[in-house]
Parts: sequence; structure tokens; C-alpha cells
Amino acid sequence: MIKNIFQTEWLKVKHYRAFWVLLSITAISFPGVNAIAYFAFKNAAEGPSQGGQLMKMLLGNPFAFPQTFHTTAYLSSFFAFIPAVVVIMLITNEFQFKTHRQNIIDGWQKSTFIWGKFIGVLFITLLVTIFYVAVASTLGFIATKEINGAVLDEKANFIPLFSLQLFSQLSVAFLLGLLIRKAFIAYGIFIFYTFIVENILVGIFKLKAKTLGYDYGHFLPFEISDRLIPVPPAIGKFNEVDYKMAMASIEQHVYYSLILTILVWFMAFYIYKKRDL
Amino acid sequence: MSVLSINHISKSYGKIKALDDLSLHVPEGSVFGILGPNGSGKTTTLSIILDVLQADQGSYNWFGETPTYLHRRRIGSLLETPNLYHYLTAVQNLRITCSISGRGSEADIHRVLKMVNLDERKNHRFSTYSLGMKQRLAIGAALLGDPKVLVLDEPTNGLDPVGIAEIRELVKDLAKSGHTVIMASHLLDEVEKVCDHVAILKRGKLIASGAVDAVLSDEECLILNAADNQLIELMQGYKDISRMVDTPEGIACFFDKGKVSAADVNAYCFNNGIVLSHITMKKKRLEEKFFELTNE
Repeated sequence: MIKNIFQTEWLKVKHYRAFWVLLSITAISFPGVNAIAYFAFKNAAEGPSQGGQLMKMLLGNPFAFPQTFHTTAYLSSFFAFIPAVVVIMLITNEFQFKTHRQNIIDGWQKSTFIWGKFIGVLFITLLVTIFYVAVASTLGFIATKEINGAVLDEKANFIPLFSLQLFSQLSVAFLLGLLIRKAFIAYGIFIFYTFIVENILVGIFKLKAKTLGYDYGHFLPFEISDRLIPVPPAIGKFNEVDYKMAMASIEQHVYYSLILTILVWFMAFYIYKKRDL
Repeated sequence: MSVLSINHISKSYGKIKALDDLSLHVPEGSVFGILGPNGSGKTTTLSIILDVLQADQGSYNWFGETPTYLHRRRIGSLLETPNLYHYLTAVQNLRITCSISGRGSEADIHRVLKMVNLDERKNHRFSTYSLGMKQRLAIGAALLGDPKVLVLDEPTNGLDPVGIAEIRELVKDLAKSGHTVIMASHLLDEVEKVCDHVAILKRGKLIASGAVDAVLSDEECLILNAADNQLIELMQGYKDISRMVDTPEGIACFFDKGKVSAADVNAYCFNNGIVLSHITMKKKRLEEKFFELTNE
């Protein structure tokens, strides 16, 4: 059954140029943003200024093993919106061209259709994680002077954290596409919410944390998983207290993210089952 | 045996009742036409039996069994509009249909593309097709794997006269080879030419159903012509006549079904001194019946 679902979803995207173009943009953006940051750091650190030397001494090299997994995950996560656009495109296309109806008419159960999209989101997560690991490892090998096995996997826990963050955020994007159904409205809401609304809400909740007794901004749909990858230590050193708290709360946010993701998919299955197509 | 049984199905969209206690039985091997004006509930009916819509009340059975997704895999369906991936070619789209339904093979894809005259454009994207070509590809998808039951909603939509004639012949051929075809259509002439059973819907209610001949011939009509002006007067006295209308073709005399014979009427006129110059039994056309039933 799973093989048939994967095979069918593969047939849908195999020759879909827009899908591969957007994934290629993701693949280019990851090394792009990390390379920009790497060269900026290298120029500053290797420059003649005393500030650069001091920075190098204090921060170490954030792109060397084992920090590269953390730094690269943090920088790459800013580009998670590109695969999210791919996910929204895949689901809204089905509504725009009514192909989801035809899938049911041809013999899929409604749940099979959602499983197909679940597998699709998982597949995109896997591909993008591979891009991330490739970039992190490449920069790590370039930036690390002496490589030994012990440091190679020291911060490799950021690989599953990056995957979970991405899968959770892509799942929320999928649910948005499923609810809105119209591609451009869904893109608009997604971009507006993730880049503006949620950041404002996070700020408001932070300010109101004392009044409310807790910083409820942690529980906003994207913030929940954003907190899986706190700022890298190179930046965190400027505010050690917050950095330590952020690192300590990762485990908590793993559970929150898992709960949110399960809830999102449960809602997707339920809504699609109950809805007239 | 009924391939499809619909039992007391109702469906509302808000305050609008799209289907009201609809019951239908589609015999195996029949070409079953579902007729009705716009908004009568034809597509809603087909959407419910294909599990795209959920009925508010009532039930339906496929092949005498409670419907599941496995039944839908055995049915070739075209609902409302051709629903295919615009960025894929005909062949790539049909591969998806094969993968989901389990019907057909690579060889079958090429067979149906030839059947619907899309062989030359099989590697072109669906988005580049004309409306008629899209419709033909959707019919091709329904024919994959040679399913024994086909559900076709307005199958001739967007087709040119040649395409319409081809689909008519295709449906006739399918019927001859034992397939059951359930088709909704506005084209009464088409339905009359290919269907042997018909259901007529109006505002979600079933107003007539059964074999086409039975639905059409609730009364019979004889057209009579004679040089003698006394013909109308004479026929008024004929037993079982229900009404008469003077038409350009002649005097149309209506009788209850089974109550008239052309030979008896001819003998009656002759015995009363009127020689008929023309006598024909006129079959009521589906179009007439449709308007008779669906008009207020």
C-alpha cells in the first residue's frame, strides 16, 4: 500500500518542472547563505584588524566541526519557506485542477490521499535534510584544521532537530494549503504570517511574559519548532543566559513540536474525511 | 441484478435541496441515462455514488454490496470536468490513473489513447489540449482496463459533431459487449439514441424512471390524413381516443398506451365512408416527454 502511494505521488512530481525548480532553488540557497556567512566570518577573522582576531579567539570557527551542524542548521532554517511553498503548491494544485477528486473517484480512500501528501512532505524533508547535511559537512571539512572522529558527530543531534523543525513547519504549511485551497491566497497568508504576524506575536508575548506569567509565544505554530535550533554559540555568547536557557529548552520543544505535528496531521485527515470534495 | 441501487438518498446544500429521496436501480448491461435540467441533481447523484459527496440521508450499493473504494476501482468514471494534471502529458496522466485504480497497463494506455484519437498528441501536456481533447482524454482514463461499469457525466461536453458521433458509437459498442454505462446528459437526442433506460430528475426529485420505451409511451399517437373534412368529427366518436390535435402533418389522435391499432382505425374510417390518404403511428420523442415532465 505505502509503495503504491509513494509510486503514485512520484508519478505526480516526477515530471513537474516547478517542483524541481523550487527544490533546486532550495538546494542552491543552502550553500549560498552559509557560504556568504562563512566567507564573511573568514574575511573578518583573517583580516588585519584586532577586532577580527579577537572575534576568532572568542568565538572559534562556527563552521568548523562540530559547530558546523548547529550554525548551518540555524542559517539554513531561514530558507525553510521555499520547501513550504513547494508543499503548498502540491496540495493547492490538487484542488485547483480537482485532481484530488479524481484520485478518490479512481479508487483511493480519502485517508490514502492524505497519506500520499504525508509521504510527500516526508520526502521533501528528507531531501532538504540531505542538502543541509551536505552543506554542513562540506563547510566543516573546509573550516576544520584537524579532523578527528570525536568531533565529527558531537553536534550531529542537530541533524534530527533540523529534520523535525522542517517537517513540523512543512506540515503546518500543508494544513494551511488544505484549508485555504487557493494557491496564491495560501502563499500570501503563509508568507505574511511567518515573516510578520508570528514575529510580532512572539515579541508581544515576550513583553507580556511577566504579566501573563509565562512566555506563551513558545507555543506559536512556527516558534514551537524554531526553538529546536537556537542561535549558534558564536552569537549566543553575546547573551549567555538566554543562550543557555534556549539550549536547555530544546528537549521540551522536541515534544511540543511532535505534539503539534501529530495534531496537524490528525486535523488534516479529519477535515479531508469530513469534507465534500 | 442491479449494478447500482440508490435508496432514498437526500442531499442539501444549505437551504437548497439538491436531491430529495431519490431511489434508482441500474440494471446490469444497460445504458442508463440520467436526464434533467440544470440544477436537477444529476451531478450530485453521480458525485454521491462516486464518494465525492456524502449524502445527508439514504444509501447506495454497488454490485449489491456496501460500497467501498475497491468498487470504485472497478468503475471507469468521468465526473463533471476532465480532472487531470495540467503539467503532465496524456501518457503520464493515464499512468497515475493506472497506479491508483489498478486498472490497465502500459499497453492499455496506448490502446485507449488510440480509441479516443489522442495517439498523436499523447506526449503533449494536458494544458495544451483543447476542451474536446481534454474530454476525450478523460474518457480514455475511464476506459482504462476495460471496466465493466462506466459512469460518464456529460461525456460529449466540448466535443465537435464528429466527436459526439464517435462517443455515441463507443457507448453503443460498450453496451453491445455487455458493459453497463450510466450517463448524465443534457443532450436528449444523444440519450434517446444510445440509452435503453432513463431517469428524469427535476429539482432533485425523480419524476420518471424505467426503460426508455416505457417512459416515452404512456400514450400513443396516430397521424391521420384524408380528403374528407369530416375526419375530425368521425374520430371524435372513436372508442378510447383521449384527445385530438390538428397539426401540419395531419390530425394527431392520442390514445392510452395499448388501446389503438392502426388497422382498426383504418377499417373504422373506411366503414364510415372516409378513405384515409395517410396513417402513421408516431412515436413520442424523448425531448417532448422531457419538456412535458419538466415544465411547470
